Amino acid sequence: MNEARQEETIPSPGELIRLIEAVARERDRNAFKRLFTYFAPRVKSFLLRSGLADPLAEDVTQEVMIAIWHKASYFDPRQAGVSTWVFTIARNQRIDRLRRMRSRPGDILVDPSDRPDVSPSSEDIAIVEEREEGVRKALSSLPTEQATIVRLSFFAEKPHAEIARELGIPLGTVKSRVRLALNRLRTLLDND
Amino acid sequence: MRINHHPSDETLARFAAGTLSAGPALVVSVHLEGCPVCRDRLGRFEAVGGAMLDDMPPAPLAADLFGRTMERLAIAQPSPARRPFTRRQSALGFELPKAMRDCEIGPWRWLGPGFRWSKVRIAGSPDAKVMLLKGRAGLHLPAHGHSGREFMQILSGSLSDERGRYVPGDLDEADDDVDHRPVVGREADCICLAALEGDTRLHGLLGRLLRPLVGF
Repeated sequence: MNEARQEETIPSPGELIRLIEAVARERDRNAFKRLFTYFAPRVKSFLLRSGLADPLAEDVTQEVMIAIWHKASYFDPRQAGVSTWVFTIARNQRIDRLRRMRSRPGDILVDPSDRPDVSPSSEDIAIVEEREEGVRKALSSLPTEQATIVRLSFFAEKPHAEIARELGIPLGTVKSRVRLALNRLRTLLDND
Repeated sequence: MRINHHPSDETLARFAAGTLSAGPALVVSVHLEGCPVCRDRLGRFEAVGGAMLDDMPPAPLAADLFGRTMERLAIAQPSPARRPFTRRQSALGFELPKAMRDCEIGPWRWLGPGFRWSKVRIAGSPDAKVMLLKGRAGLHLPAHGHSGREFMQILSGSLSDERGRYVPGDLDEADDDVDHRPVVGREADCICLAALEGDTRLHGLLGRLLRPLVGF
């Protein structure tokens, strides 16, 4: 059977936390497999979009999943939701890989995703869930052109000049739209 | 001291996305170390990343990727020990921020009367234009503009220009709209960490002064 194409049901934020905890406490392989099925294809998609070519993107995806396995006990639901945490791991692994490809042996690389192990209350978790829900709402209420700008400048390592070419608008317009879109996003985030 | 100058939304969003280049990212990391407000702002932008990750169309994976990952998990050590510190760091007479512990730091070098610089190298990013700058109390820096963006975090002392006063913990972003003539506060020498983004160049006397010595 092709495991990667197995039909998935999308886990809720609360379920993702339980899966991470099962991996952290019991090294639960079934829980890990569910996390893998959900996250690996999305992480790879993110890596492809941010400019890694295919064999490399899949290799880094594997490293991200391995990092999730090893760092599961560092996940702190008072700090962020699981998807956000996985996003930061994918981001850091991508940066590390790009740097390692250019660096000398013996170079030390910092991983800012390390976090202390603590047991949070359900209230703490609710606060984070609410915040992440607010972010989701904020994103979906951005006008399409602003959402596009945020996505392009957020995910792709694209200079404004390139975004301008891609969208066929002047450079100054890109600059002011990025500023506008982020302002609006920030206002929405502050109001959650 | 109260922090009044923070990285822009755009800068924090790019930091959150991992698309800010190494030099500016180092300056922002130093700022984050001392600024709970920006750590919270960063958390929100990272949550934007999390939401976008959820919305990603799943990419096809090699059929055996899960199996191969499990095999690697069986071999890999749970937490590879961090190698002992081996960076070459010159003693500059002050404690470096934690975010700089993996950087190579050169000795203070002369840049002008009362004005010193030290080259900062980031592992894996040899082209990053980063430096520490130290100006004597009361020093007037030459007026200059920028062809791109300059990021500067104050580590000690203070700096003022036409736009305001910068104290330890403050981060200043100056882009091509900014022409300024910074002056070091009279109370103490000022040390700051500065990074130029990409092809950014400094115009004016400061640029002509820096280029042959610093190389950018």
